[in-house]
Amino acid sequence: MPALWLAVIVLALAGIGYFIGRARALKSADGDIRLLHSLPSYYGSNVAMLTAVPALLVLIVWTIVQPLVVNMHVAGLIPVSELDEGVNLNLVMSDVRRVAEGLQAAVAQGALSVQAAANIDLGAVDLRAILGSVGVALGSDVTMVTLDAAQQYRGATATGQIAMTVVVLMVALGLMGYTLSKTNKELRARNIVERGVKIALISAAMIAILTTIGIIFSLVFNTIEFFRMYSFSDFFFGTTWAPSFGGGSALGVLPLLWGTLYISLIALAVAVPIGLFAAVYLSEYASRPVRAFAKPLLEILAGIPTIVYGLFALLTVGPLLQRVFGDGGLGWMDAASSVMTAGLVMGIMLIPFVSSLSDDIINSVPQTMRDGSYGLGATRSETIRQVILPAALPGIVGAILLAASRAIGETMIVVLGAGAAARLSLNPFEAMTTVTAKIVSQLTGDADFASPEALVAFSLGMTLFVITLGLNIFALYIVRKYREQYE
Amino acid sequence: MTDATVSPEKTPKRSSLHTASDRTKKRNASETRFKAMGIGAIALGIFFLIVLLVSIISNGIGAYQQTYLQVPVYLDPAKLDKNGNRDPADIAKVSTFGYTPLIQAGLLSAVQDANIDTPLQTARDMKNLISASAANVVRQDVVSDPNLIGQTVTFKLLASSRVDGYLKGRVTREGVAEDKNINVDQLDLTDKLVDAGIAAKGFNWAFITGSDASESRAEQAGIGTSMLGSLFMMLVVLGLSLPIGVAASIYLEEFAPQNRWTDIIEVNISNLAAVPSIVFGILGLSVFIQFMHLPQSAPLVGGLVLTLMTLPTIIISTRASLKAVPPSIRDAALGIGASKMQSVFHHVLPLAMPGILTGTIIGLAQALGETAPLLLIGMIGYIATNPPGNLIDGFMAPNSAMPAQIYEWAKRADPAYYERAWGGIIILLLFLLSMNIIAIILRRKFERRW
Amino acid sequence: MNDMRLTERKVDSKEIKIEARDVQVFYGDTHAIKDVNVDILDKTVTAFIGPSGCGKSTFLRTLNRMNDTIDICRVEGAINLDGEDIYDKRVDPVQLRAKVGMVFQKPNPFPKSIYDNVAYGPRIHGLAQSKADLDEIVERSLRGAAIWNEVKDRLHAPGTGLSGGQQQRLCIARAVATSPEVLLMDEPCSALDPIATGQVEDLIDELREKFSVVIVTHSMQQAARVSQRTAFFHLGNLVEYGETGQIFTNPTDPRTESYITGRIG
Repeated sequence: MPALWLAVIVLALAGIGYFIGRARALKSADGDIRLLHSLPSYYGSNVAMLTAVPALLVLIVWTIVQPLVVNMHVAGLIPVSELDEGVNLNLVMSDVRRVAEGLQAAVAQGALSVQAAANIDLGAVDLRAILGSVGVALGSDVTMVTLDAAQQYRGATATGQIAMTVVVLMVALGLMGYTLSKTNKELRARNIVERGVKIALISAAMIAILTTIGIIFSLVFNTIEFFRMYSFSDFFFGTTWAPSFGGGSALGVLPLLWGTLYISLIALAVAVPIGLFAAVYLSEYASRPVRAFAKPLLEILAGIPTIVYGLFALLTVGPLLQRVFGDGGLGWMDAASSVMTAGLVMGIMLIPFVSSLSDDIINSVPQTMRDGSYGLGATRSETIRQVILPAALPGIVGAILLAASRAIGETMIVVLGAGAAARLSLNPFEAMTTVTAKIVSQLTGDADFASPEALVAFSLGMTLFVITLGLNIFALYIVRKYREQYE
Repeated sequence: MTDATVSPEKTPKRSSLHTASDRTKKRNASETRFKAMGIGAIALGIFFLIVLLVSIISNGIGAYQQTYLQVPVYLDPAKLDKNGNRDPADIAKVSTFGYTPLIQAGLLSAVQDANIDTPLQTARDMKNLISASAANVVRQDVVSDPNLIGQTVTFKLLASSRVDGYLKGRVTREGVAEDKNINVDQLDLTDKLVDAGIAAKGFNWAFITGSDASESRAEQAGIGTSMLGSLFMMLVVLGLSLPIGVAASIYLEEFAPQNRWTDIIEVNISNLAAVPSIVFGILGLSVFIQFMHLPQSAPLVGGLVLTLMTLPTIIISTRASLKAVPPSIRDAALGIGASKMQSVFHHVLPLAMPGILTGTIIGLAQALGETAPLLLIGMIGYIATNPPGNLIDGFMAPNSAMPAQIYEWAKRADPAYYERAWGGIIILLLFLLSMNIIAIILRRKFERRW
Repeated sequence: MNDMRLTERKVDSKEIKIEARDVQVFYGDTHAIKDVNVDILDKTVTAFIGPSGCGKSTFLRTLNRMNDTIDICRVEGAINLDGEDIYDKRVDPVQLRAKVGMVFQKPNPFPKSIYDNVAYGPRIHGLAQSKADLDEIVERSLRGAAIWNEVKDRLHAPGTGLSGGQQQRLCIARAVATSPEVLLMDEPCSALDPIATGQVEDLIDELREKFSVVIVTHSMQQAARVSQRTAFFHLGNLVEYGETGQIFTNPTDPRTESYITGRIG
């Protein structure tokens, strides 16, 4: 890994720079620390910072950009006319990259000499076998076009690596020399270092923004790509979901939205009453020891990973429901996975979510409200129902909306518990599927990202993102307004 | 104030406080009902928790026991070393197919030696009792020590998952009629082998340390390798999200001016915390794999995705701990001439550290149990049969992760894998439990009230 | 017969409404109220005065068992309302509080309409037979609290939208609506401006015609203005209890005198 070594070298330079810088500063003050503007370590840090940071940034950017550039360059060299009918340039390029990687690995492991790798005669050597022996498996034999391109790819990559090494080291050494020349007792080293640290802090805060931008870009670009291949109205208003990778898929989102909504409704029907009553009891009735015991117990439910709930739905709740409502019992249920299975389990998962949010909300209703009501001779339940809950209503609505957004975005429980069939039905004991479950099923496996069947997952993700984001923003707004009211 | 009149005739007739009126009784009854519903809700919640835990433990505990067979195998030189020169290269050429008949013969002879009466008379009749992995175990021993050839060595070999399931009660006599992997005679034999001490259950270390196995070898599958995958992912998450999260929080809490820009970052963070995890999976897939060409299924990519997912949690809890440090501390430092940066890094940050670590551990625990985004970046469907060889492979080579492995097992057709899935959950939950306990201890021990 | 003696006879002629004997209140291990004996008369305004933390509010809250809502609080001794012990096991605090209403320091209207605020008590106690009945109770109570003219056109506007003084009078109307026999007021004017305070004080004086009013106050002027009898509390003890005029002009206990002249407080 030359990039890794390069990074190590840069860091070593920075370490050396630290000590030289510190020594230079001390020397300029004749060893008297009091004459320095900043503490000696700041002079060292200043040199180290300017040596390492810009050089490492160049290194990172280069490492990310170079493959893209090389890829584009090599793709441009492949004669499109020589490709077989229906073969995608992207697929060819991924073969090219694999061959190039394989050759690199073969040289590194000694299976091929550098000379041999550079001059491969496809007629004489079974390249596929050689690459297989070094751990790079190819789907088909290597064609001449691919090999040529791969050699180009290797060549361009090697040139790029050398250029990168030179540039990075020049940046590091240049800035190190410049900073050292500036280092003397007058230099405001601490201020420079602190400015650097502040920039680092700001960049860390920017990662949150970058993440959002990343999410939006990755969804938007692929969604646009999808709608180029598939009609907008068929997606949003289509009532059939029947993807087939052979083509001719029906990709209507309505059955998925319906499944999502139905399961979420059942989940909320379970979680909201239980969670709300639990919160009311914990905040208004429970003695301190009961609260200290019951609250953490309920919150354990929130700490259990969703995969556990998924398994619980698939292997415990589903079969249990089937015994009651299935063929042996009421006969409403065909299989263990159903809307009811997923909804119930998701409801259990959301109980602590609803209860701890509502608990907070109820606790922020001022005590004077309770006093006023008790002072009039109201019982606790009258006070709760007629004063506290109405006062807390906006906050509780916010909490329920947040829980709804959780339910809509939940994946593992529905993947394992709800089934795979997309249908528009009212029977809660039938298997249905959701937006999240279909994102998983369309994107797992080795699908290429060029077909509408895979790309549809991104527009599903977009739909999901927009719905949950809307709910969240609205809910957070309500809760914030509510809190301001009582502050 | 002429309107201040309360008509005296409306004052209710004087009633004794010592007798409850009918209305009060009714109101108190409804009070009791309401309270009972509250208790009921909590009881129901705790009941669900208990059902969940009981179902995890009762289903998963079986994975920690595995049936082994003590089989004396005659390592026939005629089969294993045809040249008779004990040349390791030649011996290595004998594939597992060469060993399978020897093991089956060994079991047959063990059955005969123990005078067990069974309608099964040939070695092939018994092949369903032994795990398909057995031949590989014997072969590896022989390859590493060719001198064993010619001797009769007793190996402790895995029984097949059907036999194991039968002894654990998962496979029943009624259920095997359609099963081509086992028959009733073989189950009878199993019972007798147990009586004779040839088959016995033992603690299943291989489950904790081992790797995943192919669909047909449930008895061999273990969670160890995916545990390593999770470990490497958590290293990435810890190494990135702690410094970035702390840096971002310090900026927002201590340095950021109160303006629109800061507002946007804050709203953005609280919304990111509520974005469904699967969306982070899509982000990882298109940015890290599609765009940056990082390897699929690599713990590094998983770690990056989980980092982005955990960051908001860590930022929110870190900011809360920074906020809890009283301003007087900052003023004191600034008052003696420290720069703002020094006051934060020398005084505020160390005081907030316990809170930050607690938040980080809880964030890590969340990340450890997260599954959905891992599905999209290819950490399932991959059978992690070998643990990573070195540190770089640990980050870059394809692997699975605990929750993804559990999901993978849950999707497989053989019910023997369900037991493994539940067993994996026990380990996962133990990890989460200990992380939370550490967080609680940290909080108890270092919590400071101002 | 001079005026002074007339008032005195008038006071004496009133019957005893609440009678407290050897009352002790504990908060956990803290002994907050010690050996309080006091007789509160009907149709009289009684003021509890004393420095902060002297226990006057605590004692007030024992009179309608509002302290029941605090887990660690414990009351010993006897408090009788019309001769019946209110701490008797058979007493339901809910019924008690309907008879002994309370107004708090900070105006605390419920986040409901003005009408619903006042109707709240009658509704939970089932005092109204019909809608018309309830309307009448609401109007009578709002008139009783001298706020009817200000709110009669917006009965269905939220109670929280009123000014501080109006809110406090709304809270008094709310307390009056359940037709209590005793009205407890815990520093009802401390959050109000002087004009609103004046209005509420006038109201308290009028309320005396129908109820026994007990008011906790920080302000000695207020006690002198509105009350007929005054009790001075200090460090959990009832130091002196008597006619307001006498307490302010001729206190018997040196501690009372120090407080009134501003040396302790």
